[in-house]
Amino acid sequence: MKLVVYNNFRVGVVRTSSVVDVMDVISDIPHINPGQLMNGLIEHWDQYKAKIEQKVAGSQGIPLNGVALRSPLPKPPKLVCMAVNYMEDGTRAEPAPINAFLKSPTGIVGDGDIVELCEDNATVFENEAELGLVVSKRASKVNAADWRNYVFGYVNFIDVSSRGLGAPGMDSFFPTKSQYTSAPIGPYLVTADEIPDPQNLQVRLWINGDLKQNYNTNDMGHKIPRVVEWSSTITTLLPGDVIATGTNHWGLGPLMDGDFMEMETEGLGRLRLKIRDTRQRQWVRETHRERAAKGLPPAAPRI
Amino acid sequence: MKLVFYNDYTLGVLQGNMVHDVSNAVKEVPHVTPQDLISGVIYHFDVLRSKIEAEASKVRGIPRSQVRLRAPLPRPTHMVNMAVNYLENGAIKEPRPINAFLKSPEAVIGNGDTLVLPPEKATIFHHEAELGGVIGKPARNVSAANAYDYIFGYVNYVDGSARGLGNGSFYWGKSYDTFCPMGPCIVTADEIKDPQNLRVRMWNNGDARHDYNTNDMAYNIRRCVEYATHITLLEPGDVIAFGTNHQGIGAIQDGDLVEMEIEGLDRLTFRVKDDLHREWPRGIDHNMADAVAGRNRPAAGAPAR
Repeated sequence: MKLVVYNNFRVGVVRTSSVVDVMDVISDIPHINPGQLMNGLIEHWDQYKAKIEQKVAGSQGIPLNGVALRSPLPKPPKLVCMAVNYMEDGTRAEPAPINAFLKSPTGIVGDGDIVELCEDNATVFENEAELGLVVSKRASKVNAADWRNYVFGYVNFIDVSSRGLGAPGMDSFFPTKSQYTSAPIGPYLVTADEIPDPQNLQVRLWINGDLKQNYNTNDMGHKIPRVVEWSSTITTLLPGDVIATGTNHWGLGPLMDGDFMEMETEGLGRLRLKIRDTRQRQWVRETHRERAAKGLPPAAPRI
Repeated sequence: MKLVFYNDYTLGVLQGNMVHDVSNAVKEVPHVTPQDLISGVIYHFDVLRSKIEAEASKVRGIPRSQVRLRAPLPRPTHMVNMAVNYLENGAIKEPRPINAFLKSPEAVIGNGDTLVLPPEKATIFHHEAELGGVIGKPARNVSAANAYDYIFGYVNYVDGSARGLGNGSFYWGKSYDTFCPMGPCIVTADEIKDPQNLRVRMWNNGDARHDYNTNDMAYNIRRCVEYATHITLLEPGDVIAFGTNHQGIGAIQDGDLVEMEIEGLDRLTFRVKDDLHREWPRGIDHNMADAVAGRNRPAAGAPAR
């Protein structure tokens, strides 16, 4: 099932090119905001799944292209992001030591929204397209083998990154990763049954129609079962948490004012955003791969 | 006013040694979780304050020894922790570039609870006693000049830290479940005349550890609020921890009883448990204190951080 949050934060299910509203089926879930409603729906899915399916089967729905989509997860309790978690198409001999960081949950935006580049003197702003896992229930110190019990579904996730901020030599993930509007998620929350093999999905990202990132999740360093297991040993995972599984860095490049950024993981729909920079800064339009081919350091320089 | 949660997350006002149930005064605050309730109370405090005060004087108090105090902020959306934010009593001449990290909200425990060391092979586990500022309203792009308008109050805050894991990763070192004791109460800002001049003390099994003043901060409270809110949107009930002075840092290990007190914020007490019963030297960890202060020690190598 593909879940969406749309218009005035209503919850719906996508059926081909329509969306069927399911608010009347789920409104008894205790909540004081839309984020809490979605997290509660995820947590109590077993109680609502059949009723939702019935509603979808028996309703006409409204055209999907006539609604304003929001992030399907308005307020995940946590955004846990794996760091340096790809083998980079065979250019790494071994996975990097496992590591992660927290990304601010108020930085989330959805399909059709604007990513605002911060005014601080970042050396460059870059795209990082990632497969996101959505946690289904409380998970603490779980075994890798049981990982499917804890994954509700999947989302496209972009970890917009603001480089060159923070303190050299110190973990600087907070200024780099937690800037406001730097966490696009969407357009759908796809339930796990639609994605039998998340370890074998093509992830693509375009800037202004040009393909920049094009990699497969089989290139992941620490695989999904290990990611779920390890994340749950550090902190208790909660229903609705998102674990971003990392990115293959070859297709990273600068984001600039006016850019149109799209990302699609197979089966998860297409996430589309506009980039805005009030300072209208310009960078050389080159990806890490293009720069490496010329023997240049990966990050594009400012013009 | 000192706000507490007690027993089954009943909202109370702490007056001296008595806890007064004020749930009636906040019945209309929409909430599902205890954090929803305290965040809502904080956000609408200007409207609720007089009702809460009236209720507190109306109801009989219960001696605090007869209740179980809980974390007053059980699960903020953000716990922003300033990194290396003290000048270490004059040892650091130039502040490091300003920096911070997020601590997992699942790490929170309250007064009287137990911090549990994970089995991972940390080189050592440390306490870090910090002043916590509680955000009072949605805070985005707040100027230093206006910073105090956004602080609802203050709380004792401990940044439990595992060293030697993950090569300096703040996530790995700082976000374990139970690694954030906070409490016992939120003290409203009007009770703290000068938060930039507060004595912060900590004891382990009665022995002195941290003993520093918040005037030793590298980046002051105003700057920290400005910094954090220029990066992201903070919400009512979020916490900014302003860092620690490492000159009184020490190990936490199985069986410890740790206390911290910031002037005017009451005393926070927690226990430490380690199923592996690992042992570290007692007293102040001078290797760590010296490393942060930039002093070289001839003795066996200091841990990386």
